Amino acid sequence: MITAPAPTQAPIAASRLGRRWLPWMLLAPVLAYLAVFYLVPLAIVMVSSVTDPSLSLGHYRDFFTDSFYLQVLGRTFATSLIVTVSCLLLAYPLAYAMARRQDTLVVAMLTVVALTFWTSFLVRTYAWMVILGNRGPVAAVFRMVGWDPPPEILFTRLSSTLAMVHILMPFMVMALYSVMKKIDPALLKAAQNLGASPGRTFRHVFFPLSAPGVVNGCTMVFILCLGFYVTPVLLGSPREQMLAGLIGRQIEELLDFGEASTMAVILLLATLGLVAIYNRFVGIDKLWG
Amino acid sequence: MNTAKQPESDFAVDTSRRNALKRIVTIAGSAIAAPYVITPARAAETLYVNTWGGIWEEAAAAHLFAPFTKETGIQIKTVSPVSFAKLAAQAKTGNYEFDVTTLGGGDIVRANDAGLIEKLDPTLDRTKMAPDQVFQNGVASHAFSTIIAWRKDKYPNGGPQSWADFWDLKKFPGSRCLQSYAARVLPLALLADGVPRDKLYPMDLDRAFTSLDRIKPNIRVWWTQGQQSQQLLRDGEVDAIGIWHSRTIELIQQKQNVDFTWNQGEIDRAYWVVSKGSPRAKLAWRFIQSVVQPDRLARFCVAANYGPLNPKAFEYIKEADARLMPTFPANYKKQFEQDVAKAEPQLADATKRFERWVGR
Repeated sequence: MITAPAPTQAPIAASRLGRRWLPWMLLAPVLAYLAVFYLVPLAIVMVSSVTDPSLSLGHYRDFFTDSFYLQVLGRTFATSLIVTVSCLLLAYPLAYAMARRQDTLVVAMLTVVALTFWTSFLVRTYAWMVILGNRGPVAAVFRMVGWDPPPEILFTRLSSTLAMVHILMPFMVMALYSVMKKIDPALLKAAQNLGASPGRTFRHVFFPLSAPGVVNGCTMVFILCLGFYVTPVLLGSPREQMLAGLIGRQIEELLDFGEASTMAVILLLATLGLVAIYNRFVGIDKLWG
Repeated sequence: MNTAKQPESDFAVDTSRRNALKRIVTIAGSAIAAPYVITPARAAETLYVNTWGGIWEEAAAAHLFAPFTKETGIQIKTVSPVSFAKLAAQAKTGNYEFDVTTLGGGDIVRANDAGLIEKLDPTLDRTKMAPDQVFQNGVASHAFSTIIAWRKDKYPNGGPQSWADFWDLKKFPGSRCLQSYAARVLPLALLADGVPRDKLYPMDLDRAFTSLDRIKPNIRVWWTQGQQSQQLLRDGEVDAIGIWHSRTIELIQQKQNVDFTWNQGEIDRAYWVVSKGSPRAKLAWRFIQSVVQPDRLARFCVAANYGPLNPKAFEYIKEADARLMPTFPANYKKQFEQDVAKAEPQLADATKRFERWVGR
């Protein structure tokens, strides 16, 4: 908030009042929208996790004393971690190349990343089904080299991880690129002038300066991945479902809204916990560059 | 009043202008909101039907919905796929995405017990129906069967001829697929383990799950929707599959390289039901009355390869078509029917156990 210097405060009290309320007035539509379509349903989910079918914390006790649920929760975190690390390893060189170049190739690469981002993730998931399927190009290549029948790739952890990495890559690239672009090239030249090898320059100058992008990208990808539903359900192994998929089945097959709500709340709390850690060490406002 | 006597005054002009503005905003607003809000006027002439999509919906649109609309002027809008969870949510929240749906035998008992469907309309005319056609506040429409189908390129000398064969990974090596649905899969597991057809219910759940354990490593994926099961078989993702007969016959008619057997097919009945508390319940019963008429049901069943559960419908069906139906006598005797009444008390626990078993 802007605080006006003391002497000018008194004469313009009216406009100061306006200034104080203006941000709230601008925020009002989106706040009202969020309240109706996000906070209220969320509250209903929270309430039903302790009231459906009767008032108790039984669902939470069941969740944390059941090895099956804990296993799914653990798997959800493990998968998110794998996806995040894979995204980082793939996106970092790409973002680096994009940030260090000035030519039209950068525009082309940015366009490719943006196009991936703009394609519906459902379409991308189905595309992976075609690519990895028995009649797809991957199977055809295996057959060509004499591996027939080809190995089963679809409906494994590999296929769902592959697709999730692809779907979440743009977030990582954008997070890294926006930070790397702001790194002053003069600093790198200075390091080299002082006798640092390219590797050393990268390790001691470039990488530390790009670290905020790494943290941003990883946080965003990890949190998005925690809640992934469609991709693991459609592409993954039935034995390795993530928590969101289990919530879906809980409602669809068992009509157990109470237990499903409990899992949703636990997933939300886990996410909020991560956000809190991020906020403590980095600051939530940095997430958007 | 002053303003009434002087319509030219600023105040009066202002009001009318404001009213006009208000009217414009209202019109524009309702035009924008129209697709999202069902107004009472429109609701009176539109019925929302939950469908299974694919060939089911095509056949229903041509032979059930169109004649009904022509007769009554009531429009049919469809919502897909069939979701038991939505039916439950509708009864709970009072928001109706659909008014009418079809439920399988296991689900109708479950839905009726949980109060998710409307009580039978007493004015329903049952003179043209079979005596057992009304069941648990639903009206039986057609039968479908979960049969064994396979890829001919994988098993050129014929595929599994029984569920025991389907389970026999030495005799028929390859990948398998079944529906992710405990009520239908557990009886099959018992048959595969040698339980006779007449001793299936009440189900020995431990035995069923032990039997399922044997085949689990070869089950690549569990199908949840009809179209998905077709795609898995068509693209050769799985070699043998427990799939609905109608979907298989459609694949064969499309000249896909697949075959199936009626042996030990598991017959299920589909019932029309009305979602509990639907504001269009009256229309819904009128719709149900219309779609179980023998001639309409016959045409629907021929188009979608189902077996009509109104025996009078067979009067309108040619024998060549009837031979593709699970309720055709020669096919029927090779198969078995689920005992939904006996299975129902077990289903809640069995389903819960099944979900976990799949996820392990």
